[in-house]
Amino acid sequence: MSAEEPSVADEVRTTVTVDTDRPWALAGLVAFWGWLLLRWTNDFLLPDGLAFPSDQSFVPAAPFATAAESLGATAASLGVAGAPLDVVAGLLGFVAGAIPSLPSLARGAWLTIVLTVAGIAFGFVLAVPLSVARVYGGRGLRWLSLSYTELIRGTPLLAQLFVLYFGLPLTQIIREVPGVGVGFVPATAVWVAIIGFTLNSAAYQAEYIRSALESVDAGQLTAARSIGLSKVDGIRYVVLPQGLRYAIPGWSNELVYLIKYSSLAAFITVRELFFQAESIANDTFRYTELFVLAALFYLALVVSASLLMNLVEDRTAIPGIGGKRQA
Amino acid sequence: MTLLRVEDVHKSYGDEEVLKGVSFEMDRGDVDVLMGPSGSGKSTMLRCINRLTEIDSGGIWLDGTPVYDPETDVNELRQDVGMVFQDFNLFAHLTALENITLGLKRVLGVPEAEATERAADHLAQVGLAAQADSYPAELSGGQQQRVGIARALAMEPKLMLFDEPTSALDPELVGEVVEVMRDLAERGMTMLVVSHEMGFARSAADDIHFLDSGRIVESGPPEQLFQRPEHDRTSEFLTGLQSNGH
Repeated sequence: MSAEEPSVADEVRTTVTVDTDRPWALAGLVAFWGWLLLRWTNDFLLPDGLAFPSDQSFVPAAPFATAAESLGATAASLGVAGAPLDVVAGLLGFVAGAIPSLPSLARGAWLTIVLTVAGIAFGFVLAVPLSVARVYGGRGLRWLSLSYTELIRGTPLLAQLFVLYFGLPLTQIIREVPGVGVGFVPATAVWVAIIGFTLNSAAYQAEYIRSALESVDAGQLTAARSIGLSKVDGIRYVVLPQGLRYAIPGWSNELVYLIKYSSLAAFITVRELFFQAESIANDTFRYTELFVLAALFYLALVVSASLLMNLVEDRTAIPGIGGKRQA
Repeated sequence: MTLLRVEDVHKSYGDEEVLKGVSFEMDRGDVDVLMGPSGSGKSTMLRCINRLTEIDSGGIWLDGTPVYDPETDVNELRQDVGMVFQDFNLFAHLTALENITLGLKRVLGVPEAEATERAADHLAQVGLAAQADSYPAELSGGQQQRVGIARALAMEPKLMLFDEPTSALDPELVGEVVEVMRDLAERGMTMLVVSHEMGFARSAADDIHFLDSGRIVESGPPEQLFQRPEHDRTSEFLTGLQSNGH
């Protein structure tokens, strides 16, 4: 009850924290998102006649390649003294190599975000009842919730995706649904991936929320019951609003994990970020460029998610509950 | 007229029998105080009345309604029994005002505007009109407990239970809470108070029940119990209390 008690929020603050005082990091993110939004608007929304060709980069690669080449030649002629120049030439060469793949990576990033957001959101909807059942349910409900959580957390996500995609008739069923894969409606494999991430993330989120619910003082529910609220209403109006606030830091970790784990969807043919990077790399043999580039994309997404969750944590903070300023 | 009847209540936790046949009655408007050493079963007795703890045998009747009848809706029963806790237990995520409106809205179905108005009145009654928008963590212990009292009162209960309402408070904050309780007693609220607050007991209590090891050893008006206790156990305990500066 007292404000001095250590909360879950203080114990599990392991999310990537970003120093917003560093303007270059923020500028990088702004540039990344600006470009990404521009790219998506162009590729997905603008009619073909108006749009910039969707398989073509906004910035041509040729000038970078030429500059890299001439710098490299100069560096070679200078001998050992040309080493710094050679590094710059190398960077320019990297940029030149990366530019043509950017439109595909932007499309992949879109799917990565769709998978992550859907998985987290639908997973959350399942995780709340799962965790409540685990903490407040009767024997049967507790057992059911625990079994589900252990089953999911005890098996590899990739195996779960394979079972859903290859093992169950899920694919055939989804394929029959009219509209799937048309326009903005994702294709079958994407739906399977969303189902997989939802089921998987629900188990992990339920664990974070469960431990947060357990850290809500038992007297809170007692007080709720004492004014005549039913147990369900007491949980809904008193325990959950507090528990979910405590859960935010741990829950942010799950979001960050899911951004990266969504790359496993590539193995069931979803053309997300990792799939795009790998297939271009396979075609062009530019493995280093593509995987470094993909890593930068993931980094930008993860850092953005962390910033967003820090913001959510601050906005929902209440004196005495959650938030860094009170900690 | 009898408001609360407690008859031969037994309660055990595992092998330990905490209540060994407790009986007493309270009339409407009575203020009774339960005293006794820790572990004597005072808090358990209180929690049995609104079924936060279930009795093993015996019976409790509130305003004629059998509390432990299977037909009795426990949530409806609890609306008639306000409870104030030692640790306040204010809803930590809600402001002082919202702590009061929650029950009005979600239990009694009072519309938002009216709930706010009624809650503000109750806050004013305990002298905290200015703290309506403060969160529990921003209030002193004494203020929190006064909100706790207002929250219970807002449900317009027939009986108020106080479970050691001042024992978690710094000494200088006890007075403001006792004052609110005394005011409540004067306005005719039926109150059953677990407390060692001698000042309150002496000035406000109609009867004091002295509990020891799960039994009421002695009952009577404060002057009788404090001046001429019949049992050695009672006088020992009271002497101990007084020497501790209560």
